[in-house]
Amino acid sequence: MARKMRQYAKDVPFSLTSMMDMMTIILVFMIKNIDAEGQLVTQAENLVLPVSTSKIQPKEVSLTVIVDAGHVLVDNQKVITTEEVLASKDLCIPAVLSTLYERRKVEEEHALAAGLPADEAGQVVIQIDKNIPYDAMYKVMATCGFANVPNCDGSGTSLRQGYTNLSFAVMMKNGGEE
Amino acid sequence: MAKELKPPKDPDEPDLLPAMGLFTILIPMLLSMTAFQKLAIVEITLPERSMMNMTNDAPPEPDQQALNLSLAITSDYLVIGARGGFQPNVYFKEMWTFRCKSDSKLITYSPEEVKAAVDAGHGPKCQDGKEMDKEKYLYEIESIELWALEKTSEEDPGRVIWAVYSSQGENVPDSAFVDGNNSFIAMTGEGPGGLKAPAALKKPNPGTPLATLTPNSARKLKPEDAQRNIIYPLSAYDLIAKDLIAIHTQFIDLEDVDNIIVVANDDTQFDKIISLMDRAKSAGFAKVNLAKLGGG
Repeated sequence: MARKMRQYAKDVPFSLTSMMDMMTIILVFMIKNIDAEGQLVTQAENLVLPVSTSKIQPKEVSLTVIVDAGHVLVDNQKVITTEEVLASKDLCIPAVLSTLYERRKVEEEHALAAGLPADEAGQVVIQIDKNIPYDAMYKVMATCGFANVPNCDGSGTSLRQGYTNLSFAVMMKNGGEE
Repeated sequence: MAKELKPPKDPDEPDLLPAMGLFTILIPMLLSMTAFQKLAIVEITLPERSMMNMTNDAPPEPDQQALNLSLAITSDYLVIGARGGFQPNVYFKEMWTFRCKSDSKLITYSPEEVKAAVDAGHGPKCQDGKEMDKEKYLYEIESIELWALEKTSEEDPGRVIWAVYSSQGENVPDSAFVDGNNSFIAMTGEGPGGLKAPAALKKPNPGTPLATLTPNSARKLKPEDAQRNIIYPLSAYDLIAKDLIAIHTQFIDLEDVDNIIVVANDDTQFDKIISLMDRAKSAGFAKVNLAKLGGG
């Protein structure tokens, strides 16, 4: 004898109400956390940024220098190991300087081509792991300032400005909540 | 003849499928725009030397009328200097609070304890008994705390000072309370090194007038807030912040009152620099310079 098929669809109507409740909660949560302006700085991998009470948001996209436990990266390109930076006796790091100089040169050329003032200070956002020693941070910062010349001894064609407009990327305390 | 009343019909359920379709589109879109961890920036003035020429020009004569405020951090203490003089050292004991991946709970160790565990071939232990990865435990540091110490002499190892803090939960301190005399509600700890909270230090009762270091924060303690307060080691950052606020208020007429130089050792972690910069900016020092201890 053939088994009688149960008619689930007829017996138990599919209710979307509970799903709607869940969706509404998710929607409200996401609207609360929405960042309509977008993030001009995104956190690099392999590092933990320090937490700060600062609420200042970057106003425009700028060059990013990353210092993590392993490497120093300029615009996501590995330039030198952090160990080598720490071992260096000089404040100026030649490998980082030459990369920054090339970037700064391109920025100045673009500014001139677009009819913008080319003598404004270069902007750079530095992302540093919270456990990195001050020595490495200080050398990278100083090198950014020297980036209007291609060589650490000051020789070579000098640009108008190096990267003297510096800022550190940090995590907002309590996720930016009051 | 009276009309027979019909039993009311069950109302039809609204058709939710179009709304579901809308939600299904909205949620991925919002998910892509949602920021769970918000990033900000801390603006900084370049180190002194990089602003100079690379030649060996003589530095300019210091202005005798200026405040010339500096805040130095070493491995043992914080100190504020101005006009060639220094305030008393604020000694501290460094502590690392980890958030373990295994149980998501917080646990605090001194760097020496962590080093001893790592040297013995282990990672620091979590509350559930599991060990952190001994190669990557540094990534699990949630906060680097500087517990203020009371010392009677240079040789004295010091005792931890405990204070009343507000807390958002998990026994994590938020803001230290000060009383009507602008003094921290604090006391030296008991036991070796003062590592045990003093029994005499009590949490303030509801209705007690209190304030934090934030301007205009004086208030009477609400019962629900009083419950959340905790007794926790006083942070050396808070002690320094209080002094910085007092200095900024006292010398408000000076031209360089908004300037401060944070001076640190080569091996000072970046986290400490940011914490000091935060305190300095909150106290009103908008222009923060950085320099190295011992020149450079």
